[in-house]
Amino acid sequence: MISTSPEVQEEKLILASSIKGGKNKLHGKEKKGDLLPALLFLSPTLIIFTTFILFPVFFSFYLSFHEWNMFSGETTFIGIDNYVRMFNNEEFWEVFKNTAIYTFGTIPLNMCFSLLVAYILHKKIMGKKLLRTAFFAPVVISPVAAAVIWRWMYDPNFGLINYSIGIFGIDPINWLNDPVAAMAALIIMGVWKTFGINMVLFSAGLQAIPEHYYEAAQIDGANQWTKFWNITVPLLAPTTFFIMVMSIISSFQVFDIVYVLTSGGPLGATKVLVFYVYEHAFKFFNMGYASAAGYVLFAILFAITLLQVKYMKNKVYTFG
Amino acid sequence: MSAAKIGSISKSFLEHIFIYILAFITIAPFIWMFLTSVKDMADIYVYPPQWLPSVFHFDNYIKVFEAAPFARYYMNSFFVAAVVTLGQLITCSLAAYAFARLNFKGRNTLFLLFLGTMMIPYNVTMIPSFMVLYWLGWVDTYQALIVPGLASAFGTFLLRQFFITIPKELEEAAYLDGASKFTVLKKIIIPLSKPALATLAIFTFMGVFNDFIWALIVLNSEDLRTVQLGLAIFRDRYLTQWDLLMAGSVTAVMPILLVFFFAQKYFIKGITLSGLKD
Amino acid sequence: MLNTKKIIMKKNIFFNLAIIFLFVSINCGGDNKKNKSDNVEIVFWHSFISSTVPALNELIQKFEKENPGYKINAQYIPSGDPLIQKLITSIQSKTAPDISWLHSDFIEDLVEADAIYKMDQFIKGKDGISEEDLNDIYPSLLQYSSWKETLYSLPMEATNLALLYNKNMFKKAGLDPNHPPQTWEELKSYAKKLTIDKNNDGTFDQVGFFVPVFPAAGPLGSWMVWQFTPFLWQAGGSLIDKEQTKVLYNSDAGVQALTLWQEMYNDQKLSTFTNLFENAFVSGSLAMAMDGPWNLPRYKELLKNIDWAFAPLPSGPAKNATVVGGEYLAIFKQSKNPDVAWKFIKWMIQPEVQAFWSMKSGYLPIRHAVSEVPEFKEYLKNHSDFRVFVDQLEFGRAEKMDYEALEITRNFAEAIERATVGKVDVKRALDESAEKSNKLLKNARE
Repeated sequence: MISTSPEVQEEKLILASSIKGGKNKLHGKEKKGDLLPALLFLSPTLIIFTTFILFPVFFSFYLSFHEWNMFSGETTFIGIDNYVRMFNNEEFWEVFKNTAIYTFGTIPLNMCFSLLVAYILHKKIMGKKLLRTAFFAPVVISPVAAAVIWRWMYDPNFGLINYSIGIFGIDPINWLNDPVAAMAALIIMGVWKTFGINMVLFSAGLQAIPEHYYEAAQIDGANQWTKFWNITVPLLAPTTFFIMVMSIISSFQVFDIVYVLTSGGPLGATKVLVFYVYEHAFKFFNMGYASAAGYVLFAILFAITLLQVKYMKNKVYTFG
Repeated sequence: MSAAKIGSISKSFLEHIFIYILAFITIAPFIWMFLTSVKDMADIYVYPPQWLPSVFHFDNYIKVFEAAPFARYYMNSFFVAAVVTLGQLITCSLAAYAFARLNFKGRNTLFLLFLGTMMIPYNVTMIPSFMVLYWLGWVDTYQALIVPGLASAFGTFLLRQFFITIPKELEEAAYLDGASKFTVLKKIIIPLSKPALATLAIFTFMGVFNDFIWALIVLNSEDLRTVQLGLAIFRDRYLTQWDLLMAGSVTAVMPILLVFFFAQKYFIKGITLSGLKD
Repeated sequence: MLNTKKIIMKKNIFFNLAIIFLFVSINCGGDNKKNKSDNVEIVFWHSFISSTVPALNELIQKFEKENPGYKINAQYIPSGDPLIQKLITSIQSKTAPDISWLHSDFIEDLVEADAIYKMDQFIKGKDGISEEDLNDIYPSLLQYSSWKETLYSLPMEATNLALLYNKNMFKKAGLDPNHPPQTWEELKSYAKKLTIDKNNDGTFDQVGFFVPVFPAAGPLGSWMVWQFTPFLWQAGGSLIDKEQTKVLYNSDAGVQALTLWQEMYNDQKLSTFTNLFENAFVSGSLAMAMDGPWNLPRYKELLKNIDWAFAPLPSGPAKNATVVGGEYLAIFKQSKNPDVAWKFIKWMIQPEVQAFWSMKSGYLPIRHAVSEVPEFKEYLKNHSDFRVFVDQLEFGRAEKMDYEALEITRNFAEAIERATVGKVDVKRALDESAEKSNKLLKNARE
């Protein structure tokens, strides 16, 4: 810890407590029991949310205990059969492992790159606007179109990637036909496709940190690294929290790019959970089984999110 | 010139080099996409691959528009994406404000429920969502594309995270002047949250614009089809018509990128957070 | 709807631009439905890619001209998974089309959902077709149109596989360009001669024969199985027993066929070769590949710098065989005008119409009688490559799986992928896959 001026520390405290949301009693007008206004504010969202999101979500929970003929709509109750079958299915555990590898391969790279780029772009850089647009571009393109292009780029004969690394004397990599390389190929593309989102979020977060914090630290003789760790990182915490939660949710649910880029291959090495769900839902038409798999995914993600929330609470920047 | 100064200049130089190389790698697939879109088939199939076409061949763009009524598809996509974006900005700001600032029983539970719905894969909720639409009699209508998108757990979460970073002192004064909660949201929170709103706007717009599967199942009429449905004709599972698919994809990406380029100041600026200094 | 079709045909972008202004003024879809007159409209779903669409438009125009008062509203749905998703949801929401173009393996589910008519209803109805006409259709196609030996659809077009090869490369390798491989042994030895490492860097710059291996679970998994089955049959094997109680693809014939694929895949180091075979063939880095007739219209232009030809698939240790496939037209029970839908199908399978469609689209005709149509005879004389496919129809074969076809196909695909990419022992890969499939079959039949 560097010693920052008391003034800065005090402000940090105020900031931290203000982040706590509505609970802070300092702020007079608000008191417990804003139920009526809350309902008013929430009603548009709640109506649509209940109809189009909550109902389907509960319905698929219901389906996970049934066999469902998707064509005729007939349901047969089968208890927890779908879950039992799934836990006894080797492929399910394989798929689960692949999903974990993808997630934990993508997120650290993604966070590092996006924060680094946002941080550099926050400084005096020429052509900022153009650069930002460039980094954001992968986010904009449809995942399907992007995966089609990447599949082409990874191609051993016609692909630019092996061709380009060949210029530097690197041996061609068998991107899509080798199980390990295919996962790497997927992770690389996954990072490319999504880090622009986080860069934008981090940029907005960085912008929100008042310059005088840094100035104060400068006076205290802090170097850039300590400033980064002691001011930037803690003050970005709400943003980082959001990004972490969202990244885990979305990486665990990666599907479009897998479907087009590797199609789960080779030898099932890139078959991820949602791919498995998709296969059972729309290829074999076991929607009940697919829903059960979907709910296992939900349980995992929910547990991870709760852990994150708890962690954030301990770090003062509370969740709710 | 002091050593430190030289150090910082060379460091800044290195940062420039680094960031430009990284940016180049990032957009390399787009450059490839664009260059492919102006090649004829003979150039596309050359081995080893060539960056530049032997002749620039803009016909592909015309062919795309001849292959299907893309102008109509664009109008549909823009219309739907714009309405959803606008709607989501409103509904999400309202809901996010309730979650960030209001105290009510069950707030945290409700919020967790919101988050929870994002954790169910779309593949299993798609058919039930579709059934709701059918019960409402909305199959093959614009509403089918628009209304379900008007609430978003992601958007609510994003805005809530932003709202809680806004210092409350700013609202105090307004409350003392007798302002209502709605006025506070409108006059204080929203103006301070421009970057977050702009971010949500572009994410939503993009998401709707790039959606394929939902549009596929709810639409039948040619009149209502969107760009992504249109592009599918160039990408059968057995055959990819690279020239046309690339031209079509370039046309689909450009509008959003241009908007981003010109509107990015709203994401990044506008939040000097004078509030924190006071 | 009328408007948009006109646009396609007029090929006029300015008209498209005008639509923008129109759109702004009406602002809501569905309005232009009112300009439809008293015509009975049939909604027809299909997955013809954009290069076939002009032929389809001509076909529909022809129908509408010959049958005044009826309109065909053709709607494109991407083939494979999107098509089945669309069908499921449309049946639930009572928005199914009148006619849809189907893959054969969808029929089982559609029948179980009671969504499509039995064809007998129409064939034996007062506007029916004769037994003779029906039997003129290639039997393998009728088999694919049925489920449990009941006819639920009729084929719209046929396809099969032949061998596409580069004559120049044959010459350079000292092979007779007019003697494409006739047997498995020749295929193997030719492939070996045609696989060349030009610059001695350890990777082949030219590959002899493309073994079509794709990820089993992906959209091309069933396509890989489809291309493998001729080899299985050529070795004398079958997919499944007659009673549909167990799969037979792990028989000795299956092992023989998959061993051939495995050897060729590994000898030519195909795991480091592109799986975009068309790109490879056009760029001159591939000498032989299996391909269907639907690409012929494109190849005239695309392969103009290559001396290419099609040949029948080589024959195996047991016999000649190619796989015959196609897509099938079924009439949905939700249709308000099933008789009109039938009118279209009945019209479609006439020899003259089939000849017309075949020549325009590059797909194969579905029945013997088409060869007697004078224009078609003339066409075959001038299109020897197309002829290869038509001739092969005679020994085209089909095996329809009635239960869990999609999942069994996936299991089979996994065995092929494991034996080639994964280098797993052929017998083991096939046996393990067959065991899974047999379990499925047993459950499904209970």
